[in-house]
Amino acid sequence: MRAPIVRFALVSCAMLVVGAVRTHAAPPPPVEASAHDLPWDDGTAIEITWRAPESATNIAGYRVYRLLSTEEQKRALRDRRVAAADVAWKAAYESNTSASDRIELATAAATAAAERAGAEGMPDEVAVGTAAANALRYVAAPVESGRAIAFRVRSFDADGNESPAAEAGSAAATIEIFLGTRAWFFPLLIGLCAIIIGCILLARAGRPIKVRRIAGLDAIDEAVGRATEMGRPVLYIAGVQDMDNVQTVAGVTILGRVAKIAAEYDAKIEVPTARSLVMTAARDVVQTAYFEAGRHDAYNPDTIRYITDEQFGYVAYVAGRMVREKPATCIYMGQFYAESLLLSENGNAINAIQIAGTAESSQLPFFVAACDYTLIGEEFFAASAYLAGEPTQLGSLFGQDVSKLIAMVVIVAGVILSTLGGLGLSMPKAASDYLANSILAS
Amino acid sequence: MAKAYTPGLKVTARTLHRVRRSLPVAGEVTVRVGDRVEATQVVARTYTDGEIMPVNLANLLGVPAGDVPALMLKRAGDEVRAGETVARSRGIFGMMRKDAVSPSGGTIESISEATGQMILRGPQQPVEVLAYMPGRVIDVLPREGALIENEVMLVQGIFGIGGEAFGPIRMACDRPDMRLEASMITTEMRGAVVVGGARMTADAIRRAKEVGASAVISGGIDDQDLRDFLGYDLGVAITGSERVGLTFIITEGFGDIAMATRTHDLLASHVGQEASVNGSTQIRAGVLRPEIMVALGDGAERAGAHRVETGGELSIGTAVRVIRDPHFGRIGAVTALPHEPAVLGSGSKARVLEVRLEGGESVVVPRANVELIEE
Amino acid sequence: MMDGSSPTHTDPASKPAIDPDRIRWILATDCGSTTTKAILIEKVGNEYRQTQRGEAPTTVEEPFADVTVGVVNALTEIGELAGRRFIDDAGNIIRPATETEGCDIYISTSSAGGGLQMMVAGVVAQMTAASAKRAALGAGAIVMDTIAANDKRKPHEQIQRIRELRPDMVLISGGTDGGNTHQVIQIAELIAPAKPRPRFGGEYHLPIIFAGNRDAAPRIREIFRDGFDLAVVDNLRPVLEQENLGPARDKIHDVFLEHVMAHAPGYDKLISWADAPIMPTPGAVGDILQRIAERDRINAVGVDIGGATTDVFSVFGGVFNRTVSANLGMSYSISNVCAEATMPKVLRWVHLDMDERELRNRVKNKMIRPTTIPQTLEALVFEQAVSREALRLAYLQHKEFATTLKGVQQQRTVGDLFAQGSASHSIVDNMKLDLLVASGGVLSHAPRMEQTAAMLIDAFEPEGFTTLAKDSIFMMPHLGVLASVHPRAAMEVFERDCLILLGTCIAAKGHGRPGKPCFAYRFTPSVGAALAGEMHVGDLKLIRLTEGQTAEAEIVPDRHFDVGAGPGKPVRRTIRGGTVGIILDARGRPLELPEDRADCRARMTRWVADLELYP
Repeated sequence: MRAPIVRFALVSCAMLVVGAVRTHAAPPPPVEASAHDLPWDDGTAIEITWRAPESATNIAGYRVYRLLSTEEQKRALRDRRVAAADVAWKAAYESNTSASDRIELATAAATAAAERAGAEGMPDEVAVGTAAANALRYVAAPVESGRAIAFRVRSFDADGNESPAAEAGSAAATIEIFLGTRAWFFPLLIGLCAIIIGCILLARAGRPIKVRRIAGLDAIDEAVGRATEMGRPVLYIAGVQDMDNVQTVAGVTILGRVAKIAAEYDAKIEVPTARSLVMTAARDVVQTAYFEAGRHDAYNPDTIRYITDEQFGYVAYVAGRMVREKPATCIYMGQFYAESLLLSENGNAINAIQIAGTAESSQLPFFVAACDYTLIGEEFFAASAYLAGEPTQLGSLFGQDVSKLIAMVVIVAGVILSTLGGLGLSMPKAASDYLANSILAS
Repeated sequence: MAKAYTPGLKVTARTLHRVRRSLPVAGEVTVRVGDRVEATQVVARTYTDGEIMPVNLANLLGVPAGDVPALMLKRAGDEVRAGETVARSRGIFGMMRKDAVSPSGGTIESISEATGQMILRGPQQPVEVLAYMPGRVIDVLPREGALIENEVMLVQGIFGIGGEAFGPIRMACDRPDMRLEASMITTEMRGAVVVGGARMTADAIRRAKEVGASAVISGGIDDQDLRDFLGYDLGVAITGSERVGLTFIITEGFGDIAMATRTHDLLASHVGQEASVNGSTQIRAGVLRPEIMVALGDGAERAGAHRVETGGELSIGTAVRVIRDPHFGRIGAVTALPHEPAVLGSGSKARVLEVRLEGGESVVVPRANVELIEE
Repeated sequence: MMDGSSPTHTDPASKPAIDPDRIRWILATDCGSTTTKAILIEKVGNEYRQTQRGEAPTTVEEPFADVTVGVVNALTEIGELAGRRFIDDAGNIIRPATETEGCDIYISTSSAGGGLQMMVAGVVAQMTAASAKRAALGAGAIVMDTIAANDKRKPHEQIQRIRELRPDMVLISGGTDGGNTHQVIQIAELIAPAKPRPRFGGEYHLPIIFAGNRDAAPRIREIFRDGFDLAVVDNLRPVLEQENLGPARDKIHDVFLEHVMAHAPGYDKLISWADAPIMPTPGAVGDILQRIAERDRINAVGVDIGGATTDVFSVFGGVFNRTVSANLGMSYSISNVCAEATMPKVLRWVHLDMDERELRNRVKNKMIRPTTIPQTLEALVFEQAVSREALRLAYLQHKEFATTLKGVQQQRTVGDLFAQGSASHSIVDNMKLDLLVASGGVLSHAPRMEQTAAMLIDAFEPEGFTTLAKDSIFMMPHLGVLASVHPRAAMEVFERDCLILLGTCIAAKGHGRPGKPCFAYRFTPSVGAALAGEMHVGDLKLIRLTEGQTAEAEIVPDRHFDVGAGPGKPVRRTIRGGTVGIILDARGRPLELPEDRADCRARMTRWVADLELYP
């Protein structure tokens, strides 16, 4: 510990001698430094605070050091010795190319270098970061949780001269139940929940909630009717993902509606699936729909079958089926990837009415181009509320829309604040920083 | 036009009336020409075909429609009971056979190989036609019904609700301009044809239904009361098939309007006698008005009695009733029949007549707005 | 949707060929359910004019049971008026015409005995069943019920219904060619055992027209082999993208003549008299309207409001549609109009103070005594208010029915991403409407023509420039049939005697706050001084322009309003005058009246004064 100081002093003296002009003494150390656990965190940070020394004018900032434990010191020493030995060994080995005992020479050089390095003594601290002159606080993170760690703080001036250390003592980082940085999350959550619940209650109380017409869903009647008149089946694809995908769930929900209409019209519905679980779910939904329509005798589970998990194997089957059976109506509702255009182009070629719905934005343009109607993202998820017309679902849909509206307002406000901040106004800048770093960061 | 033909309602003390009683579909006639019949006697009877129920056997069995006839255990024309197996699939090598059971009892009408459906006809429903009017059978329409004739007192109403009903006449109002209130209807009026006076109140109708009166007759009714009683607003005047628990007839019109004195007197003169009432009304081409009739005891065909013909000619002195506001419901005698059309208060031109109302007041009304009061 | 083909389908070879130029005397009758109306058309100079008319009660029912008795009575009346003998001593029409007696052409339409009553069936209610309904309505039938696989009724309920109805004939469609056979046959299998009984006579086999999937025809023939009279015609919807109503419509006319008419009393004689097939009255009205629209290249709407029903006919872009609103009428159905429209809606057209409870009783009294006429002004105002609602509802039904085909594939581009409209829409567009023709008692017998015009404008809400006219004595059916044998005579009479021009309505589409500017106008009449001014939102103005006169009109709408060229775009046009004149309507479209009764009355009072509706 003494060595660096000596060296530092020597360097300082040299500068004093050489520079002569910049004769500044080291700045005074900070006072009342203390380390303590950062409250409301996940136990990976320690906060170090201090006060500025009085009558200090030349402080450019503070540097925070962590005191190393004995173990760490030993490990650091070992690392240094090994590194020094490596360098020495390599240098000696390469410089004595002709000597027959070059290995022995190198070994000796390495040993010596290691001894030298070991003799230099070991630093007991490591800098963890700096804080600006006006910041009297530093959060050290990440740190090991639950172990006491000691810190010290030094001030430094513009030339990099450091003051003597102010010991901040030690503290251990502990985990708290709530995370302070996410504090905004709580009121936001409560607020959004309140909006949605409020809307549901309103809807249940009989307040009419209007959902705009979704042409694609209204067209289901017509599409199934077409299939009926043409005596051809309705082909329904609920995406290529499993039941854990929310789009598949939405697709199967809409299948219920389609199946009910098909039951009423006595049209045949075919549902090839790419996942076995989807098949089971689809059978359930379709059977229920047939029962609701009072046509339980017309339900045939064999038309809802599992094909293969293999994406293109599935597509090959469906495309082949389309060309052979020429369904009058094809409905695609779920998660789609490359198969979107493969399927819908096939459907278009056989002159089927096609209705697609997906939240996969990259596939939407293909569907729009090839299909008669396309449900876009949110419309697709809103479908079940739209179809059921049940107050709870409608209310929740309305509540979500209100929440989205609030988000939009916040985005617009943020953009405006940020722009004003960029123009050099401090108030908007602070506000936008707070919005971005505190409210939204949560 | 040389003749002024004007519709009217029949209110007559004695007329020879003939009713045609026929089945909706061919059946058996239970009376013979010359028989004397009572009002509630059955004159013809038949069975209508039972309800038809299609059963999709192809789906129940899981086979193509074309295979269904071959899999039937029953043939067309066979009787089946509910739950009886009617078809069985072949299954796989005789295993896993599926049975199709009949959802209800009936007769198999047909089995289609195009749709895989079995058409099941339910049990037959008996249909009986009553004589409605006591009298003598004067003609039998083979397999259809009979013509019955008698001398009757006949009162036609303007509008009624409910179908045929029978019962003795009981007077609830002493005067034709008395409103028919619930308090006037007593428990002795059970099964009776209750005659009121002016407007019948909603409470009165409800009360009549409570005590089990078979029909209520009065001058008018408020539209609101009718709507409350029926539970819906009547759109077109085609009635008779309502199931409201009693038949009621208004003789004059909607609103607070007194029954014509003649009508009231005539009904009063038959108190206690059995009446046949029908509320069925159809105001379309081929108009049907509700009616109340009492068969006159002897039933002998009398000379001079005539068939009912509604409508007649207008001439000076004819008794008419004004049937549109502003003098709605008033009765008077025609005093002049100007030939030229006159301009009405509304600005329209129409042919009119002059009426001296019962109060002595003389008014001009369009000819379309009066109806004859027939003798 | 209708192919516009002429309905002359029975072979007229049995009649002597008609040389159009030598025709001088034409007699036409329309046998309605209560009255038989006859008109005489004479060649006066070089043009045809309707000169006399006569009427007599229809004699289909007992005691006469011969429709020709009424026809002879009506023709005799005409003969007396014209001073010419048309009926010989044996009671036959004298033909051909000589110098002193007889006529050259006799034609007739009929709606006696309730007209042609049909039941139609199809697979999907909005597709083939709708096409079947259009075919039947276009042929002039009354559609009693439409059976479809998806009409939400259980099969036994459908059968019950089929049994209750006693149609004159049944039209079955369903399936595209090569498409659905299963359900088509299923429907036939429902109808056959239900054995609907025709209205006339027990020995009469019910005619069935099959216009569905041709693949199903052999099986259909089998099903209806016994006890029915089956005719198979081309599919109404050979593919879903196309509607082919012509063959079915012609077949309906044939069957109407051969079966229905032939069984009605006296009609065999009437058929033998007539020089053209006897048509159902509404079918003939549709024909003449189609011809006029075709000739003048206009879009037209015709309405006939009766006691029990209201018929609406429209021709838009050459496509003909007809609807019958069965329970919207002014006498038998008046109570139903009030129930369907609700009393407050009716009362919004009334500027006088009226008691609602009292009115309800009056409505019911009119229902049970349908022949009465309003005597007081108050009663007239109320009746005309009801008629506005009846017409409005009938037009609404018409708009819903007259749509483009359903079940047709759409083509879209990525540009349509956010504007995906519904595929099928109403073809009725008030902005494109050129001619609105009114007929029926309450419209044609209104004491003032202004009232007729006001009822039409309030009920139909025409937009832009619309010529208003009324059928003077309900001559359109006669002319419809006449057009098939002598088109020139029909057209000339239609122009000169049939239509009474009321004037032109100019209405701006859009909404604005009352009192704000709506449009500026400038009229340069053919005779007289030019006239200019400005209309404000909520205003209604009547400018007299007598019949035969025309005017150059220039309308410059405010930027929120449209008079045909788009919002804010000025329009110049030559407009025709009439017995009423020009009606400028700045009340906005869709027309909205204040909810508050007092407010609404105040506004109506102003409008009544503006149009000089009532004394």
